[in-house]
Amino acid sequence: MILLDYHNRIIEDTLKARFHPESKPKPVDMSIVDFDGVSYHLATLDDQDTKLALSIRWNCWSELVQYGAMDVLRRDYKQWIVESEQGYDFTLQFDLENIGADPEELIRKVALLKRNAMAAPFERAFDAQSLAEKEDNWDPSSSQLMTIHYRDGEAIYIQNQQDRVTVIFSTLFKEETDRVFAKVFLQEFVDARKKPHLQNAPQVIYSHREPPLEIRHAPGLLDSENQGYITFVLFPRNFAAGAVREETISRIQIFRDYLHYHIKCSKAYMHSRMRARVSDFLKVLNRAKPEIQASEKKLASGRAFRRV
Amino acid sequence: MSRLAPVVIDNGTGFTKMGFAGNNDPSFIQPTVIATREGGSGASGGPSVPSKPSFLNSSASSNIASKRGIEDLDFYIGDEAVANSKTYALNYPIRHGQIDNWDHMERYWEQSIFKYLRCEPEDHSFLLTEPPLNPPENRENTAEIMFESFNVQGLYIAVQAVLALAASWTSSKVSEQTLTGTVIDSGDGVTHVIPVAEGYVIGSSIKSVPIAGRDLTSFVQNLLRERGENMIPAEDSMTVAQRIKEQYSYVCPDIVKEFKKYDQEGDKYFKKYEGVHSVTGKPYTVDVGFERFLAPEIFFNPEIASSDYLTPLPEVVDTVVQTSPIDVRRGLYKNIVLSGGSTMFENFGKRLQRDIKRIADSRIKKSEILSGGRMQSTPMEVNVISHKKQRYAVWFGGSLLASTGEFHSYCHTKAEYDEVGPSIARHNRVFGTVG
Repeated sequence: MILLDYHNRIIEDTLKARFHPESKPKPVDMSIVDFDGVSYHLATLDDQDTKLALSIRWNCWSELVQYGAMDVLRRDYKQWIVESEQGYDFTLQFDLENIGADPEELIRKVALLKRNAMAAPFERAFDAQSLAEKEDNWDPSSSQLMTIHYRDGEAIYIQNQQDRVTVIFSTLFKEETDRVFAKVFLQEFVDARKKPHLQNAPQVIYSHREPPLEIRHAPGLLDSENQGYITFVLFPRNFAAGAVREETISRIQIFRDYLHYHIKCSKAYMHSRMRARVSDFLKVLNRAKPEIQASEKKLASGRAFRRV
Repeated sequence: MSRLAPVVIDNGTGFTKMGFAGNNDPSFIQPTVIATREGGSGASGGPSVPSKPSFLNSSASSNIASKRGIEDLDFYIGDEAVANSKTYALNYPIRHGQIDNWDHMERYWEQSIFKYLRCEPEDHSFLLTEPPLNPPENRENTAEIMFESFNVQGLYIAVQAVLALAASWTSSKVSEQTLTGTVIDSGDGVTHVIPVAEGYVIGSSIKSVPIAGRDLTSFVQNLLRERGENMIPAEDSMTVAQRIKEQYSYVCPDIVKEFKKYDQEGDKYFKKYEGVHSVTGKPYTVDVGFERFLAPEIFFNPEIASSDYLTPLPEVVDTVVQTSPIDVRRGLYKNIVLSGGSTMFENFGKRLQRDIKRIADSRIKKSEILSGGRMQSTPMEVNVISHKKQRYAVWFGGSLLASTGEFHSYCHTKAEYDEVGPSIARHNRVFGTVG
């Protein structure tokens, strides 16, 4: 598995089981999580086993709403949106007796709830860029820098310019080892782009500690040894409306988890090589055991003699 | 930031149960199997290392260490592994409850966490389980992987039997929450009887019975075959036997009377199993008869299925209790807890309780007679507890434990690990001693 999935598997599996026409409605109550500190609560309503509610909680929800998350969610989930549950930011509710013509499609959409909420600022930036492109004298000061503090101490910055959209991740590594792995890993991104068939890929710039120019004025930047910044420069061809745009949004927002997943995979790979190497050395050591000296040779008379 | 729910993973020999604490059921239950490209599960299992560094090795070797690509990411786990078994090699990283191949296990966890549970391990505490009598070295290795590879926030490794005891607290029959009792853990491969006194497993008295789910299934399969149920397609006979076992089987109080009942009022007891041929799609029916009560009966009368193992389960339980320290025996009889899928049969608990009680009572009677009537013993209280969460009792117990407020103080944290090293896993905070 190289790429992570975009959808939440537990939600998908549970809804599939529930939406199946032959399954009997049963009460359910579970709380699950997703990457980046998202919590979900999936439960049937009290006394009503056919009503299923899914709530989401995310620390950066208010920021997402500010950047137009509700519009995106309304577009995707229209008839399912209800008043948010106590303690959560957003709630969808389904009636198992009336789930519409295409449950498969609905399940797919619901499992992507987190992704769709996060898509809002990206869509806004892409739209703003395509408007700016048409103008002849575009005012650079009208570009908006959107900040989403999606994790403790880490944020995504999105800025639209006339000819491109810049996405910057600030990353915080708890471990020194992780930072080194990340550096090697991100270096590969830069190198890989030199290959001829990857010329169209967005440019990736990694800077350690030093924030990129675009966000240097942004408040709340940490200045620490563990801080790194990853910049993606997206050109209009990278987010042409339609499938390409959707894919770009999905990929870029899972980037942090993708990076950390691969750091962990690399460590696991190193460990398995270390284990193999150790067992190899052990074999060598076992072979190197001194042979037991044959007992002293004696003559028939009982006297020992030493060979020269 | 509020703490995110701890992750509970119970890696068993056959199946892995994983999910988040606080939930009633595990989110994923799937076979503990990993499908890799490396070819069969050879003796070493892991990648072999070339004698020279890989860049000096000109010949194309098949081992993963010499490849500079992403072959190490090319694997599947669980149900997907089984589905891909034609092109990949299946490996079972856990043998007899203990982790056998750490390379595979590390990757199994990798995908469990990132693909299935979808959580960032740095944000969560983890509760893992271990079988009784797990060597401390294994625990250290687990801690090493969890802390070094995954940077988990906290780690707690619990003994499965103790979690099964904790899970039984949900039963209405349990009056006090005690960690003393006998756990009968019967899964797919093997059945263990484990005495636990105040949270400590009495290792010397553990007994295992080589009868478990798989044996019951093949027994049913044999019965069907011998009776000539030739409607069952050969390739499905195992699954059909398993379904019949799961859907229709129950434990009867008396095998002779049960046979009589079936003879007199057959239509009331004989059932029909309806299946669909997996290839042709044709429906077929199978008569289900005596195997309904005969299958679980092999726990109580093993001689009907096997010729080399002849000790009935109640007797094993009694021996286990009798070999335990004398001061905990009453507690062990009083709280016999069932766990695992093969204890799910209707009336299994009742029958077990009756049989154990009989053995215990007869022993007390004998000693009273021997003492010449001068000694009177208080009758032994025997309680077999079955509850709703029995099937995934271990996981559920873990979920209960991890959702308590104190759980985070029991966990070993990353900082402590960095300070002390893997040996920290030898210490259990709940009991406060070296375990």
